[in-house]
Amino acid sequence: MIEYLEPLINGILLGGLYGVVGIGLSMVFGIMRQVNLAHGELMILSSYLSLVFLQVLGLHPLVTLILVAPLMFFIGYLIQILLFNRVMQRGMEPFLMISFGLSIIIQNALLLIFTPDARSLETAMVIKGVDVFGLFNIPLIYLVNFTVGALVLTALHQFMKRTYMGWAINASADNETAAKLMGINVNKVYAYALGIAAVTAAISGVLVGMSFTFYPHSGTQYLIIAFGVVIIGGLGSLPGTFLGGLVLGVSQLFGGRILGPGFQLLSGYIILLIILTVRPQGILGGR
Amino acid sequence: MTAKPIRLTFIVILLAFLVTMPLWASRYAVNVGLLVCLYVTLASMWNLLAGYSGMVSLGQQMFIGLGGYTLAVSSMYFGVPVYLSVLFGGFISVFLAVLISVSVFRMKGVYFAIGTWVIAEALGICFSNWGYVKYGMGMFIQPAYKLSMSGVYYAGLILCVSSVALVFLLLRSNLGLALMAIRDDDQASETLGVNIFRCKFICFLLSAFITGLAAGVLYLNAIFIQPFEAFGISWTVNLLFIVIIGGIGTVEGPILGAIIFVLLQQFLSEYVGYNLIIFGGITIGVIFFAPRGLVGTLQMKTGWELFPVRRQ
Repeated sequence: MIEYLEPLINGILLGGLYGVVGIGLSMVFGIMRQVNLAHGELMILSSYLSLVFLQVLGLHPLVTLILVAPLMFFIGYLIQILLFNRVMQRGMEPFLMISFGLSIIIQNALLLIFTPDARSLETAMVIKGVDVFGLFNIPLIYLVNFTVGALVLTALHQFMKRTYMGWAINASADNETAAKLMGINVNKVYAYALGIAAVTAAISGVLVGMSFTFYPHSGTQYLIIAFGVVIIGGLGSLPGTFLGGLVLGVSQLFGGRILGPGFQLLSGYIILLIILTVRPQGILGGR
Repeated sequence: MTAKPIRLTFIVILLAFLVTMPLWASRYAVNVGLLVCLYVTLASMWNLLAGYSGMVSLGQQMFIGLGGYTLAVSSMYFGVPVYLSVLFGGFISVFLAVLISVSVFRMKGVYFAIGTWVIAEALGICFSNWGYVKYGMGMFIQPAYKLSMSGVYYAGLILCVSSVALVFLLLRSNLGLALMAIRDDDQASETLGVNIFRCKFICFLLSAFITGLAAGVLYLNAIFIQPFEAFGISWTVNLLFIVIIGGIGTVEGPILGAIIFVLLQQFLSEYVGYNLIIFGGITIGVIFFAPRGLVGTLQMKTGWELFPVRRQ
């Protein structure tokens, strides 16, 4: 039994990170009923922005978030105002295509600027480990990821429940026409929502950059993870996203332990497909 | 009725141009022609799903990879003649489509899109961990070296013409009528006795079969197959680009889109790095300024169609 404790605990910790990776996608779906295929690229863009600040100013990656997060909020806000708001009323495909176009542009711009080399946000945390009862080591970075992830999800949950902007976002999501009649500027609210989603992308981008190496095309990989998280938990459900992250993280590490490292991603996909088949709306998703 | 002879003449001239191409054109031009033919085929099949049946699939690359690998395995390991192997690829794709239909037909909209994508990714991982197909290193399809360029070109041309004809005839048939009824209002059509599942299932299998065949011909030309390239999402991105700029839900859209796509690809290949940025920009531009695609916008303005599927 003890040999499975390690993948279980590491999987749960990894799941906390996956939760933040998925939350931005989940928010956009819950609020706008649209799928933002550029979310993975927004994440990796943040990783590179953090890398630039790290190299130029010599800051710790987590500290660069003070600069990266507002910048990403601004970028998200602009993307919604300039691109997404124009196609909100035209169904699913135009939004999909625009976000697809955007993701291709960001990915290749990163490739041009930063070359296809592997990068990482180096810190001492990657090497350090926490000893668990002398049985095995947990990488310190996993603990940081999980803590930050849980904090972000809780903060977002409170923001949506307690602040005026949170109410306005919920109101626009529930009934756009009624929200407009109540004097809410729906387009601006959506822009704030995408800005917040971009901030979660910034946080997850920095965490991912600290934990793993990344390339300009890594966005696609994290987009699939985000989809996995969001679908397992249920699109648009905040607690579901956290649960989805945990399920995906644990199933990946168990699959890796039992079948071999090459099958780590595969076991996550298989769990995802089973859940999609049995319960297409996710574990905690409504109809 | 005067439009009919014009249409026929146009189609005949186009066909004559394509059929005689290997006789007068350079090897490079024939290769470009082959790529156009294959992309027309693949895009028409994606359009049949997304534009007419409401199934936005992001997983067409699973049939492309499977078609290519069936060709590689059966022609190299079992010595089956290449064109027969291409046909096998089609059948294996249909087999996969039947297998996964249990799962994917429970998903709708976004879930269908993501579900199909995840299946393709999962297959890519399986193939890259499978020693029989040489892991991620990929396989050289040696028997394809001996083929003549024009032979492969004609195979592509036959696929292209028959897939466009198939979509056209399908849409003029009762099934096409049912499909458009489902697309416009699925509940009303079901009440009137349209079997939604059956219609979508037929389209899904047809699309899998022809995509598998086209993939075989594609890899006869490419000769080298590798799991992450063969099962990569970029195939479907290309098809999306073709169909969206051409015009989703039109028969002509994928044809025009494929021509533009392949020519752009050839033209921009000198500007490595910028070409995909330009693709992304064009996609966004077309969605803003010609929301129904080039063909769709043109049809709305002039009312002229090369392949009218509506009944007068």
